[in-house]
Amino acid sequence: MSEEARQPAQILKEGENIHVELTHDHLDIQTTINRVRSPKAGAIVLFAGTTRDSFDSRPVLHLTYTSYAPLALATLLTIAKAVHTRHALTAISISHRLGLVPIGEESILIAVSASHRQAAWRAGEEALEECKSRVEIWKREEFGGEEGGVWRANSDVPVGRRQRRASLEEMAKVEDGEQEDR
Amino acid sequence: MATTQVPGHFTLLYFASASSFTEKDSETFQAPLSLLGLFNELEKKYPGIRDKVLCRCAVTINLKYVDVDIGSDGGEDEPDGHTSEDALIIKGGDEVALIPPVSSG
Repeated sequence: MSEEARQPAQILKEGENIHVELTHDHLDIQTTINRVRSPKAGAIVLFAGTTRDSFDSRPVLHLTYTSYAPLALATLLTIAKAVHTRHALTAISISHRLGLVPIGEESILIAVSASHRQAAWRAGEEALEECKSRVEIWKREEFGGEEGGVWRANSDVPVGRRQRRASLEEMAKVEDGEQEDR
Repeated sequence: MATTQVPGHFTLLYFASASSFTEKDSETFQAPLSLLGLFNELEKKYPGIRDKVLCRCAVTINLKYVDVDIGSDGGEDEPDGHTSEDALIIKGGDEVALIPPVSSG
């Protein structure tokens, strides 16, 4: 466990306003908010995903997260860039924690900033749903003792198929010159 | 994920349920090998893996998703072409990964 905590965070950025990260460290809310803060933005929305102490009324000891790091980072960046563009954001930051996450602590932080609040609310929700659907990270719930643990799935559809469909749709939008009006 | 590359071999990475089923994080296989051939080898080595794990996995080769249709009648018609898994050949030095249904957040 201490060996895990010593692993450096892995960060991908696109300019100053798009930041995605995988880390074994605690996620820090103030740092994340400050990262997207800007004189151009009138609104900041933050989502913090925290670990619950039960699933299906079974008590959960803790969660552990593993990832295919190079792919997870690339997917996080793709999502961050797409959400940034679609909602004309000022900035976006997505951080996901790996390794053991104790109950009640944050496993994911998403912060978005925008000129106005409507875009910020929508972008924050969309970024989270996209992450849960596509990012190559897996959550294991540990029940403790003989019960062991279970790998969770956000959805049963293999992500590769969804990825492929999503990228074809995005290509079609670019060809038509359409911008979705959100 | 740094792995030592053995000439004429490729690396297969196991995640989540695939890792639990095989009790491994990764394994090397001899190249070249078709994707279908790989699935057959996996089923021989880890009986039941096809039904319990593979049918729910996506597959990447060198960080790019490839189309697979494990045990179904046929793939969707894609405008940019569809490579069936007996035609898709894994080469030496490739990094292949089994991607079970994800659960971030």
